Amino acid sequence: MSASMPGLSPPRPIPLKDRSSLIFVERGQIDVLDGAFVVVDATGIRTHIPVGGFACIMLEPGTRVSHAAVALAARAGTLLVWVGEAGVRLYASGQPGGARADRLLWQARLALDEAARLKIVRKMFELRFGEPAPERRSVDQLRGIEGVRVRKTYELMARQYGLTWNRRAYDRMDWSAADIPNRCLSAATACLYGLTETAVLAAGYAPAIGFLHTGKPLSFVYDVADIFKFETVVPAAFKTAARAGGDRLERSIESSVRRECRDMFRRTNLLERLIPSIEDMLSAGDLPRPDPPVDAQLPAFEDGEPSGDAGHRG
Amino acid sequence: MLVIVVENAPPRLRGRLAVWLLEIRAGVYVGTYSRRTRERIWTEVLAAIGDGNAVIAWAAPNDAGFSFDTCGVNRRVPVDFDGFHLVAFHPQERD
Repeated sequence: MSASMPGLSPPRPIPLKDRSSLIFVERGQIDVLDGAFVVVDATGIRTHIPVGGFACIMLEPGTRVSHAAVALAARAGTLLVWVGEAGVRLYASGQPGGARADRLLWQARLALDEAARLKIVRKMFELRFGEPAPERRSVDQLRGIEGVRVRKTYELMARQYGLTWNRRAYDRMDWSAADIPNRCLSAATACLYGLTETAVLAAGYAPAIGFLHTGKPLSFVYDVADIFKFETVVPAAFKTAARAGGDRLERSIESSVRRECRDMFRRTNLLERLIPSIEDMLSAGDLPRPDPPVDAQLPAFEDGEPSGDAGHRG
Repeated sequence: MLVIVVENAPPRLRGRLAVWLLEIRAGVYVGTYSRRTRERIWTEVLAAIGDGNAVIAWAAPNDAGFSFDTCGVNRRVPVDFDGFHLVAFHPQERD
């Protein structure tokens, strides 16, 4: 960059594993001041958010974001997620996905190849339950076995925390109608999905190409998040629900859940484990990564050493 | 690791801090001590800060990797974002 140009060169992303997990911004105008990501409230109070130090930033109703702020988040490789009440996802951006064609093609090939897909689903089962999946089962059968185990795990954990548990149920249209454990779970899984999507994008894969899940913009995110769900957010949610049942919460349910989740993410080293576990499960498909076609045009210029993860630009 | 920054502090406090910590810039003290010692140093700051203000930050096993505490009046005030502490910068008050 020439010396006459004002300002510094854009900030480059840092690896996901070195970041803090996530933060919720509730109200205020989000803008860039002196090159930093700032929330300004109605009375002029400025709160800096070290944007590149977080995996993702969840924007709740009541926030307005400037163009410059979104551009800065994108450069820093931080996912912005616009969320509604209780973390219901509305829209996400900031860390554009699809930065790595080789990985996307590999992921797509794995998802299209029935044998590879089954191997990956089996690997997911193994990662999730800590034991190999039963032999000679189809994806559909595995999903059935998984469903039963998941329902049992919910019951067991709920009992552990002394909760009455009927089933996982929620109404996206009428959020407050759900019982407290379900409300806590929804708030907690929203946090996990945000982080998982960040990891999927940072690793250079597509959130929509799932293996067990399909047909949703976040199918692959659900696949990956399920592996860590019972280790991180479910205990965090149930713990909060148990305390809420005894009326021992000083803050709102959602805020308490997020605190508990952040603690869990740190204790389980989630951010460090997400990307390796994605690689781990996709490698189980046993297909080679595709080489570029021989007649394709290679890059005209060399990029410098990447500063963040494989899927980060810059 | 701990860092203490004092503003407008009486010289006797600055001298006292320099007994245990390294003053790497005017009013910026760095050192590595146990939690007990850190708390003892901070009590001395609280007792002697007078009209000045101070902030202490130390490495901690949380999401940010550190915690901090403040005393005295400053335009920068800690704010709690669901358990993650950031700093709000208040605008200059008009007379």
